[in-house]
Amino acid sequence: MNSLERVLAALQGQPSDRPPFLLNLSLYGSQLTGAPVKAHFADPAIFAEGQMAVREVFGPDLLLSPFLVSALGEAFGSRAGGPPEQAPNVRAFAADSASAALRLPLPDVDGHPRLLYLRETIRILSRKYEGEVPVIGLLVSPLDLPPLIIGLEAWLDALLFRPDEARALIDRCTAFFVQLGTAMLQDGATALALTANLANRFMVPAEVVAGISRPALERAFGQIPGPIIVHHGGCPLVPHLADFAGLPQVVGFLVDAGEDLAAARTTLGPGPLLLGNLDGPGLADLTPGQVRVLCERALAAGSRDPQFILATSGADVPLGTPPECLQAITESICLAGGGLR
Amino acid sequence: MDRNYSRDLLKAIQKADRAGANAVVDAWAAGRSFHQVIPELLAPTLETFGKLWAQGSGGVSLATGYVASKVAEDVLSRLLLESASREAPALPAKGPVLVGNVEDDFHPLGRKMVAAFLRAAGWEVHDLGVDIGPEQFVDKAEETGARVIGASAMMFTTAKNVEKLREEIDRRGLRGRLQLAVGGAVFKLRPELVEAFGGDGTAASAAEAPALFERLWQQSLTFEPVSGEVRP
Repeated sequence: MNSLERVLAALQGQPSDRPPFLLNLSLYGSQLTGAPVKAHFADPAIFAEGQMAVREVFGPDLLLSPFLVSALGEAFGSRAGGPPEQAPNVRAFAADSASAALRLPLPDVDGHPRLLYLRETIRILSRKYEGEVPVIGLLVSPLDLPPLIIGLEAWLDALLFRPDEARALIDRCTAFFVQLGTAMLQDGATALALTANLANRFMVPAEVVAGISRPALERAFGQIPGPIIVHHGGCPLVPHLADFAGLPQVVGFLVDAGEDLAAARTTLGPGPLLLGNLDGPGLADLTPGQVRVLCERALAAGSRDPQFILATSGADVPLGTPPECLQAITESICLAGGGLR
Repeated sequence: MDRNYSRDLLKAIQKADRAGANAVVDAWAAGRSFHQVIPELLAPTLETFGKLWAQGSGGVSLATGYVASKVAEDVLSRLLLESASREAPALPAKGPVLVGNVEDDFHPLGRKMVAAFLRAAGWEVHDLGVDIGPEQFVDKAEETGARVIGASAMMFTTAKNVEKLREEIDRRGLRGRLQLAVGGAVFKLRPELVEAFGGDGTAASAAEAPALFERLWQQSLTFEPVSGEVRP
């Protein structure tokens, strides 16, 4: 089986030669190629080269577009930056309130340079790995776009105290989300992976989830012509999975490190993929032996679930993580059967 | 039967109902001195709220924490207005203490919430803002006589800059006398980083920051005063 066949088998609950796995090595590609981080997150060919190196060295079954949500904020006019060895983050917002954000023009998904950067990486990777390795387009849901445009505080202010303004901004962000998500799929992404933190009761009260967030996700996801994976986004997801169950186009959930996969499956029932739950950012502090133990534990838990994909949870695996720790994941997968095709 | 104002205030905050919470405060204040609202109503309610938040129970979310901090700000604003009209001091001051986001961190929400909860608990807070370098933190601490710095970082990459702040405190010979509280999402997810990056303590939620700062302040007092310092 190749990687695409393996992932499709998991999606259909069919057996495969070995468990598929995903590593969030968007940033780490630059460590493998030696490219400066700034160039890695500005030049699609350089980023794509990094993902090819990731595939070559560690052999994950899914590859990623840049994990660079600040680019989405930049498309609306926010400013991003940061130290040269880190992925850029939003440093100044395009507007200071939901009402002000409503006056901003919608970004042109076919013209804005930061969006073209994201899209071109997908095109390069999907051409290279067509029929062989799924390429995942990383995005955020329309609920999580406003924090990149006006900041989290102003967004909570709108969601909690000015729900009509919040709904209007969600509608606007939905239009952009659908355009960009559709474009990424047309560019060759096999699926989209995104956060929906502002639909999580860890972040907002149940009343907001029921009255604003869930209906907004239903409307937005229903317009996406391809599969979606919901990422936990740094929040506990399993206790709140029932709020996400049955959303249109959603084929999987990537849960946080340490979350109970069996409990997740009980909530969801058969159907969606479950991805997780190795702590990606924490790998830097472990020895390869410790990583192996964690992998074996996760694989043993997942072995009872045909729709499980071993994956790093949390943010990007940091630069400086010893390659031996990542190699230990690959070796554990190989030991589980099937080799690394 | 007497109304349980604290319970009603807590319920309003849990529902993220800022207007409802302020209505409870108004009802409590009718016929009472508004100056007692913090010790008798707000502080005990926020303490209960903080415990629920730390336990992850009672329907508490980041947003309800935000509402709680807004209610605290609302009460403080009214208190300051009333104090100005009476020419009386607003609050018995503790501190001073500092809060700020470490270098390269631009996520202000948690820090602002901590500042609101600290002020509601009577602390004199100097809020330095985002992207604060280690020298800025320690210069300000020396200038104001602060014994506690609250350093906020959201992500692992920026949390590493707490180490630089630790080094600066130590370089100036202030270890112990100047305590370092650290907070932010990454420290909640990975509490082992508090010690690894040199923090003296952390709190499970912004609402629990006052108890942490109190503990660190007392800890600081057990160290020798720096040259020229006059103890209260």
